[in-house]
Amino acid sequence: MPDHVSDHPQGRSDVPATRTGPGRVLIAVYGLFAIAATSRAVVQLAIQFHEAPLAYLLSAFSGLVYILATISLALGNRTGRRLAWATIGTELVGVLAVGTASVVVPDAFPQATVWSTYGIGYGFVPLVLPFIGLFWLWRTRTRN
Amino acid sequence: MIAWLTYVVIGIAVVAAIWGGISTARGRPPGNAQFYWSFLTELGVIVQSVVGFIAIARGHGPAETATSIGYLAGIIVLMPAGIWWGVSDRSRYSGLVMTIAGAAIAVMSLRLLDLWSV
Repeated sequence: MPDHVSDHPQGRSDVPATRTGPGRVLIAVYGLFAIAATSRAVVQLAIQFHEAPLAYLLSAFSGLVYILATISLALGNRTGRRLAWATIGTELVGVLAVGTASVVVPDAFPQATVWSTYGIGYGFVPLVLPFIGLFWLWRTRTRN
Repeated sequence: MIAWLTYVVIGIAVVAAIWGGISTARGRPPGNAQFYWSFLTELGVIVQSVVGFIAIARGHGPAETATSIGYLAGIIVLMPAGIWWGVSDRSRYSGLVMTIAGAAIAVMSLRLLDLWSV
């Protein structure tokens, strides 16, 4: 039914739903974490890489994930949303995996990363953020 | 770093953050007074960063020089980004973006104090 597609407000609107309203707040938070995690990783890798290579590489990885999530949410189009599902999904797996690993094997994480102990250094925002992100993607999904 | 100056910056930024939450809760875009307060926040942040950079240049910086420089530089762009957002998007959620900027400034200022005290 071609009519069905054009009925949807998404078809006419220039601005994708993903980046409007509360979505803008989400992009702001992701942007903040992209800057925070990436700059932290750059400092760590440049100055103290030998101290905890695994933790610092994970910091860099988390920074990259936040950058990609910010960009994909800001794009908000079909490709952007696909990328957002992938990056925020990766973020969720990452914070759970690194959080659990840092609790179970603390020796492997002598230096903190954004995701250590489920993001305790950042008020557990890194743990909550992917859930909100995935919920937002689900809320703004198109039906066609 | 001057401790009292940083506490003042934290105080102003927290007020900006709360103000943003209130305007969003009331369903309004940020008003003029709110923007003026954001400019005041940014002014405090710039003074703080200049003082910090001078301290580092004079050799009174903390041990983690790179991190401190990153914070002092990064903290400056937060509120202008929030203000730009608030001007370009006249929706209730702009207030919340300014809340995030204010909260981030407060946290980063605290972290700077922390770095300097070591």
